[in-house]
Amino acid sequence: MDVMTKPARRTAPASRLVRAELRWIFRRPRTLAVLGLLALIPVIMGIALTVADPTAASSGGPPGNDGGNLLPAAAASVLVLPIAALTMTLQMLLPLAAAMSGADALAGETSTGTLRGWLLAPVGRAKLLLVKALGVATFTLAAAAVIAATGILTALVINGDGTLSTLSGTTLSIPDAVGRVALAVGWVTLQLWAVGAIALAISAFTEHPMVVLASVLGGVIVFTVLGSLDALSWLHPFLLTEVWWSLVDVLRDPVPAADLIDGGLKAACYLAIGLSLAYARLVSKDG
Amino acid sequence: MNTKRKAATVAVAGTAAGALGLGLLAMPAGADSAPELPEIGAQQLVGSVLKTEPPAMSGTATVDNELGLPAMPGVPALDAQSARVYYDGDGKGRVAMEQQSSELTYVLGDKEFWSYDSAEGTATRTALPADARDKHRSAKAAGADPTRTAAQVVDRLEESSTVSVDGTARVAGRAAYELVLTPKPDERTLVREVRVAVDAEKRLPLRMSVLTHGTTDPAFEIGFSEIEFGPQPERLFEFSPPEGTKVTESEAGRPDGPRGESGEEPQFRVTGDGWDTVVLTRVPQEMRDRAQGEGADVEGMLDRFGKPVQGEFGSGHVIETRIGTALITEDGRLAAGAVPEQVLRQALENR
Amino acid sequence: MTAHAEPVVAGPSQQEGPALAARTRGLRKTYGRTVAVDHVDLDVPEGAVLGMLGPNGSGKTTTIRMLLGLVQPTEGEVQLLGHTMPERAGDALPDVGALVEGPGFHPFLSGRENLLRLAAAEPRLTAAGIPPAVDDALERVGLSRAGGRRYRGYSLGMKQRLGLAGALLVPRRLVVLDEPTNGLDPAGTREIRSVIADLHHDGVTVLVSSHLLAEVEATCTHVAVLNEGALVAQGDLTELLESESAGLEVSTTDVTAAVEALRAAHLAARPTPDGVRVELTRAAAPDVIATLVGAGVPVYEARRSRTGLEDLFARLTQDSEEAPTWTS
Repeated sequence: MDVMTKPARRTAPASRLVRAELRWIFRRPRTLAVLGLLALIPVIMGIALTVADPTAASSGGPPGNDGGNLLPAAAASVLVLPIAALTMTLQMLLPLAAAMSGADALAGETSTGTLRGWLLAPVGRAKLLLVKALGVATFTLAAAAVIAATGILTALVINGDGTLSTLSGTTLSIPDAVGRVALAVGWVTLQLWAVGAIALAISAFTEHPMVVLASVLGGVIVFTVLGSLDALSWLHPFLLTEVWWSLVDVLRDPVPAADLIDGGLKAACYLAIGLSLAYARLVSKDG
Repeated sequence: MNTKRKAATVAVAGTAAGALGLGLLAMPAGADSAPELPEIGAQQLVGSVLKTEPPAMSGTATVDNELGLPAMPGVPALDAQSARVYYDGDGKGRVAMEQQSSELTYVLGDKEFWSYDSAEGTATRTALPADARDKHRSAKAAGADPTRTAAQVVDRLEESSTVSVDGTARVAGRAAYELVLTPKPDERTLVREVRVAVDAEKRLPLRMSVLTHGTTDPAFEIGFSEIEFGPQPERLFEFSPPEGTKVTESEAGRPDGPRGESGEEPQFRVTGDGWDTVVLTRVPQEMRDRAQGEGADVEGMLDRFGKPVQGEFGSGHVIETRIGTALITEDGRLAAGAVPEQVLRQALENR
Repeated sequence: MTAHAEPVVAGPSQQEGPALAARTRGLRKTYGRTVAVDHVDLDVPEGAVLGMLGPNGSGKTTTIRMLLGLVQPTEGEVQLLGHTMPERAGDALPDVGALVEGPGFHPFLSGRENLLRLAAAEPRLTAAGIPPAVDDALERVGLSRAGGRRYRGYSLGMKQRLGLAGALLVPRRLVVLDEPTNGLDPAGTREIRSVIADLHHDGVTVLVSSHLLAEVEATCTHVAVLNEGALVAQGDLTELLESESAGLEVSTTDVTAAVEALRAAHLAARPTPDGVRVELTRAAAPDVIATLVGAGVPVYEARRSRTGLEDLFARLTQDSEEAPTWTS
């Protein structure tokens, strides 16, 4: 039979599984809706800021505005708008999107009974987790990239040419600015992988996707609250949410790398915890 | 190995590795033990600090204050601010004060001094006199014999304090001596001691901490949390305001700062010496009027942060922090110092 | 349960028997204190269509899930196509098609897309072989025309058939179907039966679980009966039914005389509405008839009594406390 390969093959190649997984993720109406919604956020921010303050489009920022805010400068800058949008969405919406992806990957598939199909094919459980993790990773990268892309486009439309000034008052070259946005997207994606890994771990323990979403949402809120309590300052270095504001550092010149690196390493720690728990649960779980 | 045990092993190993990593990251830098350094005398240490030209470096300076001052609305929080500092080793520098999502940048270049506020989109340019930096350099060069200067400095300090080198510390990953100034027992001050950590190799002060009575945590500390020595890119010491920035020109010698528009300079008077020095001044009438005009409830704010006091000087409010006290009278007189309230009252009464 | 009932085993003993497509020994699964499956020694002969019977909650699905390596047994061993499960799942499962606990598909994808996604994980298919394999499977279950529609809009029967198509994506050596006729109309049930018959004809071993006895009686060559987690009977269907019905129904007009004559010959007999029933434990049928004829009892008709599977099933599963003790 020509459709048969050597009987020696015990499991389908991982690349084929990943492709099937990605097709499934990006064919899903819910995924597309979430990406569409995220894409709208920089547009809304850009328009709102321009309407609220027409000078924002032409000048660096409105005078007399109470300082400490990234937003006034955002609409004007091809550099600032995508990063302001990423910073804002990273506080809640992007982690939720990552959680949704992690929830669908295991809990959702368990609840529809589709996970069993792959387990019976058979797909080894370690490989299954690998494929699922890559799926979540790709989705979160897409989510961050979509925000950056529409952020750049919105700023270009509002502003025409686009100013590339940093918070430190220097002006970047275009490749440099593109590099900064790419750095921001990469760093945000790494943070989202950490959230996604935790979501996958929770996802492996339940068959209700909503439980995963609720846990991640609750976790982000609790972490944020804990992070705002000065009495718990010893705990703050352990909270992933605490590092998320460091993204603004991308807009400083030269980039103060310390906090970004620290945040990246913390995300890697969460990633290790999440994936190992997810693996442990998945291999011992009844299919 | 059976599946359950394998799963448990992976779970424990992965979680432990992650938690350990977080723990390591959470550990404050410089928590490691004090480095061993050759002994050095206080005078010699001060001398070497005075002799040293600060080398080219970049670093992050952090201000950590536990003054016990309540946060004021509209006033940026003072605690745990950090600034990135760049210095080219030859009189040019850049300081970037990080706020959560904006930055205040100060650039001292060859011929101009710039300040830039990214939140406001404003910049101020101050032209420097052509010879400013030369004068600065020659002054330093003419500082004659640093050893003698050091002796003078230490002598001056020793009139009111005990100066000593008290062990070593690690600051921003660098070995440092701890120079300690302890006020003499007859000094009426809130300060218990001031510690200055001096880089053992570069002889650059890396950290200053002010400690008060009754606690081991510094009430105020400023120092580097990171520092790296080495040449800095030239572009850091030049500034051209980004498109759309409102640029203000400022006269030389007067970098931007609060000034009375009428040009009336506040008058300062100093009483006492050493640690119980008290600065006396008068809050310019115009400033008070302006505050009132802008609707700021000065009285309410004073009531909130200070406590009302009365005495021979009249009545007013006293604001206390852990390292200093300020007394503002109803008629706009102000006395402040690193002293208890009693000393301020006396200073106001003895005028 | 302290002592485990020796299950009924019909047919030749295992040692010299045919090769087994699936075999469990001492299989046990507990969830906390609940015993779901208790020391099951199941044999699925190669080429057989084995019907797994049992009331709801008797452990059928759990046994099947352990067979397929989805669930880790608490105790005991499982061999699937000669490979130890779940450790060697990669060797066994590519040759096994399964539909367990109802069809599981994504509602927002079409039936065909769902099968494509499932087929991507089939080790036996090449990338190029996936689309034709999917189309063949759809054809086989009669869903070719509905393949492009979203799964969301499928009727229960269509869903079930799509699940069956998923199990038949590649030629299998063993097909495991858990309640395949659930929710199907009579026509759908017939189709499933014909698919099973085709598989049987091609030499594929089929394991079907069902609570529909008629279903099993009509399609299966072998049967295994589970009750409260224990295997209470298994073997060749015909032999099992015959071993159960060791009795002779005799039609006569003179019941009293018949009973007396048989009792005199030390044969157990009891009256039935149109004659007597004689247990064939001590004597063969011709002896019984000879005894009756010798005693002058008019014998109109005598036949071996054949209880249906239903009677057997009822007897096996109703009084579980007193497990059946008969053997072949």
